[in-house]
Amino acid sequence: MDLIQYLPILIFLGIALGLSGLFVFLPMGVARLTGAHNPHADKLSEYECGFPAFEDPRSQFDVRFYLIAILFIVFDLEAAFLFPWAVSLDLTGWPGWITMMVFLFELTVGLAYAWKKGALEWE
Amino acid sequence: MDFSHSLSLILPEIVLSVAGLVLLLVAAWGGDKTSRAITIASCVVLAACFAIVAPSVCAAAMGPDTVAFGGQFTADAFAGIAKLMIFAAAGAALVIAPAFFGRYGIMRAEYPVLILFSTLGMAIMVSATDLMTLYIGLELQSLAAYVLASFLRTDDRSAEAGLKYFVLGALASGILLFGMSLVYGFTGTTDFGGIRAALSGGMATGALFGIVFVLAGLAFKISAVPFHMWTPDVYEGAPTPVTAFFASAPKVAAIALTARVALDAFGAQAGAWQQVVIFAALASIVVGALGAIGQANVKRLLAYSSINNVGFILIGLATGTAEGVSAMLVYLAIYVAMTVGSFVAVLMLRNAEGEALEAISDMAGLSRTKPLLALCLAMLMFSLAGIPPLFGFWGKFVVFQAAVQADMVALAAIGIAASVIGAFYYIKIVKIMYFDEPANVVQGRSDWAHWALLAISTAAMSPLGYLLTPWLGELADGAAAALFLAA
Repeated sequence: MDLIQYLPILIFLGIALGLSGLFVFLPMGVARLTGAHNPHADKLSEYECGFPAFEDPRSQFDVRFYLIAILFIVFDLEAAFLFPWAVSLDLTGWPGWITMMVFLFELTVGLAYAWKKGALEWE
Repeated sequence: MDFSHSLSLILPEIVLSVAGLVLLLVAAWGGDKTSRAITIASCVVLAACFAIVAPSVCAAAMGPDTVAFGGQFTADAFAGIAKLMIFAAAGAALVIAPAFFGRYGIMRAEYPVLILFSTLGMAIMVSATDLMTLYIGLELQSLAAYVLASFLRTDDRSAEAGLKYFVLGALASGILLFGMSLVYGFTGTTDFGGIRAALSGGMATGALFGIVFVLAGLAFKISAVPFHMWTPDVYEGAPTPVTAFFASAPKVAAIALTARVALDAFGAQAGAWQQVVIFAALASIVVGALGAIGQANVKRLLAYSSINNVGFILIGLATGTAEGVSAMLVYLAIYVAMTVGSFVAVLMLRNAEGEALEAISDMAGLSRTKPLLALCLAMLMFSLAGIPPLFGFWGKFVVFQAAVQADMVALAAIGIAASVIGAFYYIKIVKIMYFDEPANVVQGRSDWAHWALLAISTAAMSPLGYLLTPWLGELADGAAAALFLAA
């Protein structure tokens, strides 16, 4: 009996076991390591997100930063799409031009929705 | 194969996206008071898309005429039959929503718009014949679904469900993308036909890892064991109309997508994925059946029931034959009708103040306080258990028949044995409704739309459903033939 034919199931079980185990034990391990059991000044210090790393999650922070960041990502990605489109327009022709215009129009609809809902107003 | 022909093939998707964008602007400017009008308009749009897709399913469309945009998109009968189920399930999710959200204040106008965008993503998923199209459709569906799960944002459980669904869904997308990158790296193409051609000569171990990661990512989306852990929490926490939607339409889309990926892209290496699918099928059946036994919340119980059903559906796929795919589609159609009916029945469990009840103990003695509702629910439970006179039996029968024809007798035997375990908890609910002392908490009146959907679903699951079998079988056979012609 050639056992190599069972390789896919072995890999699948390995990955399944590894990933499932990771979901269960990683948070437990992290909880054990982060402050709860062995508090340390360095571990409690802030890092780059601008909030203290460990504090009551019910504390208030300004959700407006996140709205601006999400909108920025949308239009940032749009620019990333526009560059390759612009240099290959001689290959894609009119269908390529129309497709990009449709894409830009859809983004404009999204921006109009965000604007109307007040996502762009700081106050 | 010109541009206008491609555009005509994606007509339902164009209608859905234009309607979604227009209704989004109506929702922004008109506010929540337009939610009723937007819901009706969305139902009309879904009905129109249903009508556009239906002829291609009846004619069993297949072959090169159904391929759009140079092989990135295929509008064949297989995609068509999945789209019909998705549109019907999405329509049901729209119809049952207003009465539910009405209890929590006014229904928000974004609900039907999000359902439309999610439906658009699913339509793209089932038609995808390129890894890129596949991923775009999957993400469009998922992003709308994450928002829907946390739609009652003042409710702790709904917010938790949304966050959990988002984190685990994003992880699944990452696993899927990793697998796709490996497959692309070892085959040099993202096109399903190209991947198939590249794998037909033999397969590197790296490509095998790619296949396994892609299947693991897709198993997350269809909540097959061992990637099912999010399902009970999300199904319990999400608003009930959204749960009904999650349990029906996205399941159809993800399973159809998995079937196309397995049989088309990886069809040349069937031995590699069949073992994985057989394992996932048997594990889903057993875990779904055992996990449901101890549940006290009816939505959690139905979540385990959906895991259990996914196992039976995967048996059809595991055969890797046209008969198996046809059986899988028949099972899916029956499953969607049963599941929508069950969740509508759960929506109708209300106390005198109109608050939703979810505990199984609240259903005690329902047959004496609400005899008609109890009768419908009992029939749906018997049907889910696969008890013969009801239509749910037919789905299990065709799936096991396909497995036996494909010389997978052991798989069929284990599946049948495990379905007996599953029957226990379905029948337990019937016992609680009919033989326990009445709890007398289910008092509230129900919306006419709920009654109508429950009646349709129960009628389809009654022995009358067998009148549909020749017609349903013919459509499923045509769809399976279309998938295997492409493969």
